[in-house]
Amino acid sequence: MDLVEVDNIVTRFGAQRVHAGVSFKIVAGTLVALIGGSGSGKSVLLREMIGLLRPDAGTVRVLGTDMWAAPEAEVAAVRRQIGVLFQDGALWSSLTVAQNVAAPLREREKLPTRLLRALVRLRLAQAGLPASAANKLPSELSGGMRKRAALARALALEPRVLFLDEPTSGLDPITARAFDTMVRALVDDLGITVFVVTHDIDTLLGAVDRVIVLGQGRVRADGPVQDVMHIDDPWVRAYFAVRTMIEGGEDGS
Amino acid sequence: MPANPRPAGLRWCALESDASGSKRLSLRGAWQLADLTAIDSALRGAGLTRSVVLDGGGLESIDMPSAWLLADALRAAGIAPEQVQLLDFSDVHRRVIERVLRLDDKNQQLPRRKRLGALAQFGKSSIEVARMCAGHVNFLGETAEAIAQVVARPTRLRMKELTVQFEQCGLNAIPVVALVTLLIGIVIAYLLGLQAEKYGANLFVVDGVGIGVTREFAPIIVAVIVAGRSGAAFTAQLGAMRLGEEIDAIRTLGLSPQQVLVVPRVLALMLCLPLLVFLGDVMSILGAVWIAEPMLDITPTNFLARLHETLSVRHVIVGLAKAPAFAFFIALIGSRMGMTVGRDTRAVGLATTSTVVQSIVAVILLDAAFAVIFQRLNI
Repeated sequence: MDLVEVDNIVTRFGAQRVHAGVSFKIVAGTLVALIGGSGSGKSVLLREMIGLLRPDAGTVRVLGTDMWAAPEAEVAAVRRQIGVLFQDGALWSSLTVAQNVAAPLREREKLPTRLLRALVRLRLAQAGLPASAANKLPSELSGGMRKRAALARALALEPRVLFLDEPTSGLDPITARAFDTMVRALVDDLGITVFVVTHDIDTLLGAVDRVIVLGQGRVRADGPVQDVMHIDDPWVRAYFAVRTMIEGGEDGS
Repeated sequence: MPANPRPAGLRWCALESDASGSKRLSLRGAWQLADLTAIDSALRGAGLTRSVVLDGGGLESIDMPSAWLLADALRAAGIAPEQVQLLDFSDVHRRVIERVLRLDDKNQQLPRRKRLGALAQFGKSSIEVARMCAGHVNFLGETAEAIAQVVARPTRLRMKELTVQFEQCGLNAIPVVALVTLLIGIVIAYLLGLQAEKYGANLFVVDGVGIGVTREFAPIIVAVIVAGRSGAAFTAQLGAMRLGEEIDAIRTLGLSPQQVLVVPRVLALMLCLPLLVFLGDVMSILGAVWIAEPMLDITPTNFLARLHETLSVRHVIVGLAKAPAFAFFIALIGSRMGMTVGRDTRAVGLATTSTVVQSIVAVILLDAAFAVIFQRLNI
């Protein structure tokens, strides 16, 4: 079943054409990564997929709903079932971490305070945050902790689809790999579908089912990492060559 | 119609004893976030004990939140995570529960937020205000030093920034200052006129308006407008720059942010506020002239002749002389609040609000001080 369908997306900023017909589908219960050079329109595409930015042409369907044509109420219902982790966390600065995580639950579910606190505790533990972080304000957290708190908030409503915008950027490699493991577990155990925009080559090699490469406004490559690695595209070759260089070329070609 | 309606509590789980006498908790149905409250009460009513075994044969699905509640309930019953026994669970359900049990082993409670009592809050706020005032004095010293450096070597002055600020604080403020002071002139003439008319002392309205407007009203009103416009703008601009580490970038170039950012703003505001006050003087007298003819039968010619007779120039000068002092403190407070803002977006908003309040209070305090000084000096 395709939970997310992106069909022939075209995006222009003034004279500059960012997307010239981007299409792909995401099967339920998979972890799909979107990569591409800086300025290739990855984050723009993500914003179009979650219904924040209207594409100039093409359609985005999430959970079967056309995000740009369906009635407001239907889109809102879809939004309730997706979680988004923004690049810099986008935690609300006037709320503590616990309040940030509780906010979606408060808005959507009527739960007694005791259950609310139990759920906040679960999400913090899931995101790997100590309970002592609960009462801190986002400004009092380090970058990595902010990302975790933001993930805890994105998970709050047990989303069916999770959109992550560069989740491991700015994290140290150890924390970044732990983050990958955590996301992988969400996919394997809970069947959540995850779409991740990333630059992190280790995330691709370690955790991802499928990679989509965006370049020159189109999908350049689409498939399992091992296949995409050997595709004849200058950018893709250069991207994976960095890795081969570091590891002393044991990776073939 | 269901053949065998179960009690509501049994929909989610039931405690059963099997032949050997050991107790098993069989889980049933779809355990989802949407039914969390019901699942919670079912678990609490199940009467769990230490020796319970979990049976997942009837479980359709289980998500993290409901598994978490189950883990909580097991722990409350005194079952350690590693002692939990799972029978007949599907692989997926087993994984979810085991994951939750692993997460849980720290068993940390969320700390409660501390709320300060009224007295403690009062004390805390007092200390914060005192610290802030001390910081302002500190900043005053730094700014004075930076200005002294500029005076010693005028080439250090950043003319471009100065002119940009002059345009934003002075030129762009002209419409709002003109409109507000015109209306103030009309209102004051009208109120004085109502009283003066009763005694047939119409012409004395000119005396009152002339002195009142030039000496007090125009400087205060214009300073309050500028505090709201430019003081707030300074805090927001510098605060945003601080958030983006732009001020740190200036420092790492070996430049002084005081010199680059604060001095031009302070000087620009000190230059343009007196000019705006003069504009305010003119506009409010125009407003008074405007209403004086229809209401009090004072022709514009008579008004201006009377004004010329009674309004001594010292009143105007006193009003204009106060303006640079107001401007200095508005710019100082605005800049300092921006330069020291906390590193998050909320702090910029709070600091901007605080700047406006502080600036207006400072203007009123300064004006009161000036009133006493000028009275003693008989000016």
